[in-house]
Amino acid sequence: MSRAARTLLPLLVVFVIGCVFHQSGAFFEWSTHRALLREISVLGILACGMTLVIVAGGIDLSVGSVLSVAAVSFATLTMPKGWGAASAILVVIAAGAVMGLGSGALIARFRVQPFIVTLAMMVFARGLAKWIAGGKKVTNYVTLPDGASRTVDLPSVFGVIDSKVLGDNLSVVTLIFAACALLTWLVLARLSAGRYLYAVGSSYEAARLSGVPVGRTLLLAYALSGAFAAVAGICQAAQETHGDPETGTGYELDAIAMVVLGGTSLAGGRGGVGLTLVGALTLGMLQKILSLNAFSTEARLMLTGGILIFAVLFQRPWQRGEA
Amino acid sequence: MSEPLLSLRSAGKSYGSTRALSDVSFDVRAGEVHVLAGGNGAGKSTLIKILAGAIGDFEGELRVAGEPARFRDPEAATRAGVATIHQELSLVPSLSVLDNLFLGERRPLLSLWGAPRAEAKRILARVGLELELDRRVEDLGLAERQLVEIARALQRAARVLVLDEPTSALAEPEAERLFERIAELRAAGKGVVFISHRLDEIFRVADRITVLRDGRVVCSSAAAELDPRSLIEHMVGELETESGASSGALGTDVLLSLARLRVTHAGRRMLDGVSLELHAGEILGVAGLQDSGASELLRALFGAVPCDAGCELVLHGRRYSPRTPVDAVARGVSLLARDRKDSVFPARPVTENVTLGSLRRVARAGLVSLATEARLAASVTRRMRLSAPALSLPVGALSGGNQQKVALARCLMSEPKLLLLDDPTRGVDVAAKADVHHLVRDVACSGAGVILVSSDFDELLALADRVLVLFRGRPIACARREELSRERLLSLCMGAS
Repeated sequence: MSRAARTLLPLLVVFVIGCVFHQSGAFFEWSTHRALLREISVLGILACGMTLVIVAGGIDLSVGSVLSVAAVSFATLTMPKGWGAASAILVVIAAGAVMGLGSGALIARFRVQPFIVTLAMMVFARGLAKWIAGGKKVTNYVTLPDGASRTVDLPSVFGVIDSKVLGDNLSVVTLIFAACALLTWLVLARLSAGRYLYAVGSSYEAARLSGVPVGRTLLLAYALSGAFAAVAGICQAAQETHGDPETGTGYELDAIAMVVLGGTSLAGGRGGVGLTLVGALTLGMLQKILSLNAFSTEARLMLTGGILIFAVLFQRPWQRGEA
Repeated sequence: MSEPLLSLRSAGKSYGSTRALSDVSFDVRAGEVHVLAGGNGAGKSTLIKILAGAIGDFEGELRVAGEPARFRDPEAATRAGVATIHQELSLVPSLSVLDNLFLGERRPLLSLWGAPRAEAKRILARVGLELELDRRVEDLGLAERQLVEIARALQRAARVLVLDEPTSALAEPEAERLFERIAELRAAGKGVVFISHRLDEIFRVADRITVLRDGRVVCSSAAAELDPRSLIEHMVGELETESGASSGALGTDVLLSLARLRVTHAGRRMLDGVSLELHAGEILGVAGLQDSGASELLRALFGAVPCDAGCELVLHGRRYSPRTPVDAVARGVSLLARDRKDSVFPARPVTENVTLGSLRRVARAGLVSLATEARLAASVTRRMRLSAPALSLPVGALSGGNQQKVALARCLMSEPKLLLLDDPTRGVDVAAKADVHHLVRDVACSGAGVILVSSDFDELLALADRVLVLFRGRPIACARREELSRERLLSLCMGAS
């Protein structure tokens, strides 16, 4: 069986399960799938950055925390500080990229294991998010310089990001996800940088001896992952209409699950964003079916875990065959 | 004659539509060394995998000591007494020699602390090794590791040893030691399957020789009935005449000069005071045994290991002090690494492997032009006579010799002014070797300088204009090819003045 078929099969299986347990036809309605696309978008954006890092042979555990830093920074800049949307977005994305660069620098310069570095960054960034937010959610109920508090209007950018287009058929966050996926594809498939990412992920030493700028390549991967996490954070803040320092906890694992479910190898050097998209859809559809059928949270978690293992076991043959 | 220890009858194996092996019969008798020879893609690897238990589903019949057998996995082969020593050794580098010897054996936990030391010494003595048992395997030389692995195999009652190019990473004296051990094993009634690309070696050890070509046995006879010329004829079908002609007129401009090059790594002096001059269009051979520092010389010139302070390098009339390989590449230097795992990316397509080092030539503003890339890759691989069904295939699907050509293609693609080759024909078949030699001469003719490190003296004598001999990091001789012979080189390498 071809690699594409093996990747698509878990999605197909989940789809068939959905058709069987359709909950009085709810699974066949477009609105269900429209909502599904919207719900996977934030995680999907994280998964795009994660794909770049995993292809380069690394892992980024900090994306969930970086997302929360971005969410609270964005909320703080736009509401209490009253910044314009464009400058706030730029600054927040830059901040995400800088955090990624921090991890990348430690990994590239000192060859510390990515798992450790990004685990530390995950803890650090969570603290940073809480510090920026002052320990509570950042909402449009703001304290003015004179000490008085009042509710300001939610900045319009929140509404724009959380809105739908094409006659309510497509969320803006889904479009943002699609743009991120397209950018990731461009990097991996068409840019020199993508060739370097695959090379570094396949064999660091071989890449180095081929004259690949290995340090810069690793920096790029983590910086992009940080920037994508920031984009996801902005979307998250817009959807929640506030900046929550606790948001995004555990998202890194969902993002990794999407990448791996698509068949991208954690060993690095192979895979692609197309696979990640399939993985994201599979995971999202599964969640949708479980929630349609009103499974309890406990059952949902256990089933998701089980199905993840099934899907990954299923994909092993091609990884071995091509090794 | 008694029953063969191992016998394979009419074996066949296909991968998809590719027939890797067809109707191959092969046996190993007690007390003989059976050499398996053949070019790249001849089916040797497939046959070895069958013997090692790595391929369970093949056509035909396998018998061990007359009994039908089928190895489902490598462990089953080991249990049946067939031990395969691959080029990639299976020892655990971070464990001690002692632990490695007994690793995977089911014995009571407690006994590991007491008696085995004496037993381990005895096991090692069987292959003529005397080692500190607590030394970690990663600290041993390659030859020692190989012998430890053979000792371990013998310990597990192996009756048949399959040695897959055991000498490809060994220098001559080390190989010599291995041959002595093989002779002893043969005398002790073991069967040995020996895979090698080196003619001298083959005739040195073989009792019988089986030649594979295109997945079929083209010749199987006593070694005494063959000579090097007829063997090569069987392997390649036709004989490629090797021209020992000089690489044309030598340029007089000095391309690279280095003075007092020293490299210290982890407190060990790897290179000590190497000075030399390389002319444009010249091929400088470097000979040396293990620990001679020849690889380090190339790596230092490529910026892959740091040089000590005080050395002077001048390339093309300008000071040259590469801190990373990126610096070296920017100055037109290219390295073909010794280890294939450091020179190719098996899961990536041939095209990407070839263009990786010179993406600037195929990309504009970072955007790769797939058409230009495909065209350049096709032209360079055609020039190399690469045999690959398609350039979009992952390199891992190609034979060893073709993988090596891909790695070399990447070096040539960047049009280097200084080409550093670290044992470029190691583990490569005769035909591919001739192709590589041809290309190296071409590169020199076009005015680039080549530094060629090789463990194959014949290769140095065929290609190099001059040969520098290193002994434990020191240059002890540098002579023109005409003044050298194999014997002279070997004695120099061994430290004779």
